[in-house]
Amino acid sequence: MVLLRRLRGRLIDLAIVMFGVSILVFGFIRMIPGDAVAIMLGANAEVTEERIDAIRNRLGLDLPIHEQYLDWLSKVLRGDFGVSIWTGKPVIEEIGNHVWPTLQLTFLALLTAIVLAIPLGILMARIRGRRGEAFVQAGSVIGLTVPPFWLGIIMILLLSTLAPSLQMLGYVPFSEDPIGNIQRLLLPAFALSLPIMANLARLLRSTLLEALQQDYIRTARAKGVPARRILYRHALRNAIIPFVTSVGIMAGYLLGGAIVIEQVFAIPGLGRLILGAIAERNYPLLQAAILLVTCCFVLVNFLVDVIYTVIDPRISE
Amino acid sequence: MKCLRTFTLACGVSVAGMLAVPAMAATLDIAVEQSPSGLDPHIVTAFSSFQIIDGTVYEGLTALDAGLNIVPGLATDWQISEDKKTYTFTLREGVQFHGGGTMTSADVAASLNRVLAETTGSPLASRLAAVESIETPDEQTVVLNLSAPSAPLLSSLTSIAIVPAKYEGDTESLQRAPDGTGPFTFVSWQPDVAITLEANADYWQEGKPELDGVVFNIVPEAATRQVGLTSGQYQMLPNIDGVTAQQFQGRPGVKLQDTLELAYSLIGINVTRPPFDNEKVREAINYAINRDDIVAAALFGAGVPGGPLSPALTNYATPVSEFPCFSTSADTARQLIEEAGVETPIEATLLVLPRDSTRGIAQVVQQQLAAVGIEVTLDIPEIGKFVQDWRNSDFDMFVSLNSGTIEPDDYFYRTFRSGGSTNVFQYSNEDLDALLDAGRQETDTEQRQQIYADVQEELACDGPVAFLSYGQLYTAMRENVEGYTISPNRSMRSLADTSIAE
Repeated sequence: MVLLRRLRGRLIDLAIVMFGVSILVFGFIRMIPGDAVAIMLGANAEVTEERIDAIRNRLGLDLPIHEQYLDWLSKVLRGDFGVSIWTGKPVIEEIGNHVWPTLQLTFLALLTAIVLAIPLGILMARIRGRRGEAFVQAGSVIGLTVPPFWLGIIMILLLSTLAPSLQMLGYVPFSEDPIGNIQRLLLPAFALSLPIMANLARLLRSTLLEALQQDYIRTARAKGVPARRILYRHALRNAIIPFVTSVGIMAGYLLGGAIVIEQVFAIPGLGRLILGAIAERNYPLLQAAILLVTCCFVLVNFLVDVIYTVIDPRISE
Repeated sequence: MKCLRTFTLACGVSVAGMLAVPAMAATLDIAVEQSPSGLDPHIVTAFSSFQIIDGTVYEGLTALDAGLNIVPGLATDWQISEDKKTYTFTLREGVQFHGGGTMTSADVAASLNRVLAETTGSPLASRLAAVESIETPDEQTVVLNLSAPSAPLLSSLTSIAIVPAKYEGDTESLQRAPDGTGPFTFVSWQPDVAITLEANADYWQEGKPELDGVVFNIVPEAATRQVGLTSGQYQMLPNIDGVTAQQFQGRPGVKLQDTLELAYSLIGINVTRPPFDNEKVREAINYAINRDDIVAAALFGAGVPGGPLSPALTNYATPVSEFPCFSTSADTARQLIEEAGVETPIEATLLVLPRDSTRGIAQVVQQQLAAVGIEVTLDIPEIGKFVQDWRNSDFDMFVSLNSGTIEPDDYFYRTFRSGGSTNVFQYSNEDLDALLDAGRQETDTEQRQQIYADVQEELACDGPVAFLSYGQLYTAMRENVEGYTISPNRSMRSLADTSIAE
């Protein structure tokens, strides 16, 4: 029941957020000077004003902006997102082609971050006050501050010298070449995951340390529960809730980071698609892609909500 | 802990996979910077499209050889009438379109009509402006009747692709799936990923192409392209600038080819805005600029100072030493500004094409102009804004790169004739207009050389443009790539002669 009510609330949120975003995207992108037609024709084209006007008319760009918006909105509500200005293909198809690399990349990055952050966080909590703490702390600060795109370029440079035969740029679908697919995604996923991993590990460390100060831990110790069991069964379970919240927020940021990483590693994902659409002023494509990303963001938040309820039954009350 | 173990295992498996050496294939992997803006040869204008389809998928009636001479293409020969107004082309026999069907005169006529049709909106239409009617007396013969003699016609025809007649009224299909007669056929275009071409088994030239196929990988990040070539994942980076090329000097396994480019960098001046409407001020700008310094500082020496025509057009280009304003003199510049009766400092905005090389040029120019009392503020917008301001003539001055071809008429007519389609300077000069009209109609080579010598003199010092430099153009490739020849106009048609050694 609680879940259903929450789901309904989230769906309403989603609709409101997407409506707002659609207006913002529509307005902002058209405020940038230079429209799709000008960019399409470039600075060397021998074209007449008539031709430019004809193209603008064909694309519906000569209408007042609010008419363009209403026209677009009414089509979207009927499931028609329009066609890409440049390729003439339906934007849904274009997005469909680009969505898998990004999903795979962000999923892999998130997985890497979580899988590595948990043991790291525990390690950092356990060595508190001992030798090596400063070293690990410094490492986590570096992880937090190194920009993923820089790390990506450095890794590409290093590996191209150390293992020149490595095929690590671009993308092949998993269905075509599973090894090639993973091989090309590992480096970018790692680069993308690093700051998030560091962030999560530090968070886990502090929540874990806090949990270890609690009364119930003292009670458990007094009862003679072994230290390992106290750490993993009692403290970790309580410390993990803020961790899960953060994972949800990070997943949203990963999409942002993916835009840059995809550029560096030549991965044809959603990020590249959005960057290209901005540069080309490919309005229908950009609008649909941004709506999709917004939708993902809100849905991830919803999922985090659900996971809470599972981990900590108190929240649903 | 269990999942950690699984993860480690997965990493191990992947690393093992990564170390496997890829098999050798006779497919050439090329890395290019930008997605093409479409593949219809009669509609697109961008280099990013041109370099993919010109001479690979598409061919024209005439072609250019490595020395930029006009040679037979899909036409084996042509006769020109006494009055220079009728061109009769004999077509090559047995040429097949990729999509099926033999090329006939009907296809040629349809292709030219397609370019001329208003509805196509082809930017190439002006190159066929002289064509009055097209006749096809038989399947192998095409006759072009001109309204006036047209010297640039044969050169223009090199860039007008012959497509099947069925596309005459269709402006959509070829943008996505090109269909021509060239050595490579189109296989697929995955947006933002790659464009794949494969060898045309029915190609009319025996033994060509040697490659099984060509893949144009779209790799927007410069560092990624460079590493991809060094590591051998890509075998060629076509049409790169001198600064990028320098990074490959001495790299094992990589070789470079270079040629002088036909495109030129320039300062364009809006002649309707005071004080630049005064030709003395424009001449002063020419004197203020030190072109050698620009080449040295902004192009890292990979280029030459240049006038209105590329020095690669040896028949036509006037040596820069003959233009007095190409000798730098700040004193002369100041004196000219004084003669013009203009107060200094002159304040102006310099609009800059957002490219590495033009940005560098703009910075050098800014300093050089400041020394004679012209204070310019740099405005480096994003490309879309640049194009819009440029097209609307909304600038005091701009720094940019203009493309060139082997034909002087292409350099000058559209850019400098009154009302020309890219005359964004709003320049109008009756004497020049008369010369340009004459140059277009004059077919005698010596007479033409004289006309274009006069055009260059007219433009060099007080025209709407300060001509700066012609850059060196490079192609970097793996050492085992053979037979490729870089072209000054950025065409990659020599891929037809390219092979990969084992």
